[in-house]
Amino acid sequence: MGILLLIIWLIQDLLYLIVFPGLVVAMVLVILLIYLERKIAAKVQMRYGPLYVSRKVGGALQSVSDLLRFSFQEFILPIGSDSIAFLMAPGFMFAFAMMPLIFIPVGPYYSYLFPSTLTILFSVALITITPIYAIIVGWASDNKFSFIGSLREAFLVISYEIPLLLSVIAMVIVYRTLNYIPAVAFQETHLPGIILNPIAALVFIIVAIRSTGRFPFDITEADSELIMGLYTEYSALFFGIGMATPYIELYALSLIFSLLFLGGWWPVSIHATGLLAGLFLPGIIVIIKAFIVMMVLVFLRAVYPRYRVDQAVRSGWERIIYLGIIAVIISILEVIII
Amino acid sequence: MNLNEKVYDISEAGSIEPEGDRTIALQIGPSHPGSGHMRIKTRMDGDIITKVDADIGFVHRTSEWLSERRQFIKAIPIVERIMLPDTVHANLAYVLALEKILNIEPPPRAQYLRSLAAEINRITSHLYGIGIFGIFLGSSTVYMWAFGDREPFIDLMEMLTGARITNSYIVPGGVRWEMPKGFKEKAESTLQYMENRFNDYNDIWAKNPVVEARTVNVGVVDRNRAISLGVVGPNLRASGVDYDTRKASPYAAYKDIDFEVPKMNHGDSYDRLLIRIEEIKQSIRIIRQILKDMPEGKIIADSIYSQLNPVMKKVFEQEQRVMFPAFFNQMRPAAAESIARVEAGRGEIFFYLKTNGDKYPYRFRWVTPSFRNLAYFSDVAVGYRLADLPAIYGSIDYFPPEADR
Amino acid sequence: MKDKEKRKLRGDVEGNARALATGFKYLVEPNRMTLDYPVESMKLAPNYRGFFTVDDKKCIGCSMCEMVCPPEAITMIPRVVSPTGETLPVQEGASQEAGAKPAKKTKRPVVNWGRCIYCYFCFDICPVDAFVRSNVHDLAYYNDADYRPSYEGYLKLPEDPVKKSKKVVPRPDMKRGIKYEPAP
Ligand code: SF4
Ligand code: SF4
Repeated sequence: MGILLLIIWLIQDLLYLIVFPGLVVAMVLVILLIYLERKIAAKVQMRYGPLYVSRKVGGALQSVSDLLRFSFQEFILPIGSDSIAFLMAPGFMFAFAMMPLIFIPVGPYYSYLFPSTLTILFSVALITITPIYAIIVGWASDNKFSFIGSLREAFLVISYEIPLLLSVIAMVIVYRTLNYIPAVAFQETHLPGIILNPIAALVFIIVAIRSTGRFPFDITEADSELIMGLYTEYSALFFGIGMATPYIELYALSLIFSLLFLGGWWPVSIHATGLLAGLFLPGIIVIIKAFIVMMVLVFLRAVYPRYRVDQAVRSGWERIIYLGIIAVIISILEVIII
Repeated sequence: MNLNEKVYDISEAGSIEPEGDRTIALQIGPSHPGSGHMRIKTRMDGDIITKVDADIGFVHRTSEWLSERRQFIKAIPIVERIMLPDTVHANLAYVLALEKILNIEPPPRAQYLRSLAAEINRITSHLYGIGIFGIFLGSSTVYMWAFGDREPFIDLMEMLTGARITNSYIVPGGVRWEMPKGFKEKAESTLQYMENRFNDYNDIWAKNPVVEARTVNVGVVDRNRAISLGVVGPNLRASGVDYDTRKASPYAAYKDIDFEVPKMNHGDSYDRLLIRIEEIKQSIRIIRQILKDMPEGKIIADSIYSQLNPVMKKVFEQEQRVMFPAFFNQMRPAAAESIARVEAGRGEIFFYLKTNGDKYPYRFRWVTPSFRNLAYFSDVAVGYRLADLPAIYGSIDYFPPEADR
Repeated sequence: MKDKEKRKLRGDVEGNARALATGFKYLVEPNRMTLDYPVESMKLAPNYRGFFTVDDKKCIGCSMCEMVCPPEAITMIPRVVSPTGETLPVQEGASQEAGAKPAKKTKRPVVNWGRCIYCYFCFDICPVDAFVRSNVHDLAYYNDADYRPSYEGYLKLPEDPVKKSKKVVPRPDMKRGIKYEPAP
């Protein structure tokens, strides 16, 4: 009996790291998402989008072929670049974008690896590390366009990190916990977070758009001014990693969003047990919810142009931050009233 | 990284910044997604542009030189290829100048057909401009929409002339093909489609809050400044100057046509964006009128038609296709000079043609609208932010090959 | 603020809502205007300006087309007239006609497809209307030399490279702008 339990634990840990919601699912979802993003944009723009790679399945393997192309391209190291930073930064960026996933449970029993009661705090804290490497990328490239891109990134990060924290704090106040699992349990017994505090949800979504560089905040990579922004000098796999990082971030943020605001694995109860109802089902539900959030966010590409950097920074400081404060106040009122 | 490092530019050698200058030089182009076929040398203080120097000539194609060494008729494809989004107007301007020298007056129906082609072309040209502006601001949707919506109009041109872009439709004395059967109905439904689309264009593009934020009060050129810069076309009218060559010195069928010249008041990027949509609306109105009022008659001047041999006349009667008399090959107009002005999509084309009784033009000179709109660059973007540069560049609908000729 | 009212700008709320709604409308409605090219291809109108050839019997070898061609794509090839009225290459004609009365010399145009811009000036200046049009247009060659056919090669009109595809014709459409319907 004891051995069986151990095996189940091990399986769960492995599942956790590799499958749910870890590396494999993240990569598969990112590849799928990039494909769907292009398809969605194409549909709005009255065209087909990717089609010729694997025509039978509607071009679904396009992203895979892009990945292969990135893997086998020639890598160019610019002469003037700070080569160590230039080579390391994308890897770190990618790793730190993956890191929050460790602390995001996608089911009631998924927090074995790092048992902690502060998962919300850890995951949000880790999310804010990635931009530092984005700035290093721009600095190391020795290119004015990259440099301007990284400066813009720095401005934007500072102006949008506080609203992110405020919106999470608002939800933490409502749930009275820093752990995802009780937070989801709270939503099961009460209401989903998006109804409890819609302002916080709005702020979170805006910040998610911003920090993953979706339109209309595609400012650091504004191609009509900055060519490719941060990644101007990158090529081959490093460029691919740089491009995939925002999607990983997007995935992490969408997971957090679905846990904090969309009721997590609701309608599966938190008390469900067994391999299927306790393990797979909640995971699948959370990931589907996150995926829908991601799709909505990538759809914005088809609707918006991009803001100017000063406008985005100003709206961060002058609007979003107040929205965040309002969200916190709403939460406090709710806590007092309930 | 040394920000004050010298940029790789020899011509700038004299202007290396003095000690303590805090500006940095940024070379946008010539191979840059946002520069077109040109280089924009900018200096920036932080995010603010302090100096813009447009470096043109990367796509200079010696159209004048080529045309001065060829028979007159051969200049038609040459001028067309300089203004690819706007071929009919280039063709028309040259032919008008040539006709003045040859003393040929095209018949009314040919005049109407010329205006028809020109207006269809104006719509495609403006849609091209809107699309490019869209991608400059990052809206891939408008880029795709505008380029997609050119397609029905290009299809109309294909029906009329047998080619999509480089039509070579207008020749001295008239036009080369009669309007085919079914053209009117097709044109009408295409126009209706375009009219239905304006709402969606407004929602996604012109009235999108992001676009408003990016363009309103950006790149402001008031009336007087616009006049003194000498800019032309929609950009001039966006600054509130009521000038349109179609009204000021009517050519083709424009003196019989009732249309308005839209104008705006603020002269910023947003107005330059809106005026193109307004002009498309007016072009639709003009095309409707032309299709309604098109007079019957020949599409080629009698003086040309009478030179056709019997085979050619038969072809004309059967296929409504104007063949060229041998005269087109051997034109030797007497010494004369002429000018022609045409309101193209981007503004006024000015043509000057001088002949000296030889087979080739003695002087062939033309000024394209983009060349005159170049004045915007060095002057207008100064003081705005780097991100405003695409918003200004895109809004003036500048087409480098057209300016370089 | 006053400026905003005077200009009838949309506010943030209305503007965003309508932009998103329009985007969504296009996402769900069927509205593609793309031609799925090698699978479908257009049946072009008879007046389309594509590859063309010359009618060997009609042409009189007057060189007008060579003279008018703007990019100088046409070369006149010397030929001799055979008894049947068709033309032969000079040597062949000379050997056949050896002893008989001297072959009538003439010239025939050959187009360099790498230079031709399909302006159809040659077409229209030909005093006997000897050119024959086709509306094959989507053709590219592998070698530079292939762009310069011999006269015999030029007489054969190139085949439609996408003959097997579904032929469609464009029709104006209120939703899509252009709709490609199967050709009649
Ligand atoms: S179509 Fe024009 S370019 Fe081509 S051969 Fe004829 S005249 Fe020359
Ligand atoms: S113009 Fe006509 S007849 Fe004269 S050479 Fe050319 S094809 Fe032959």
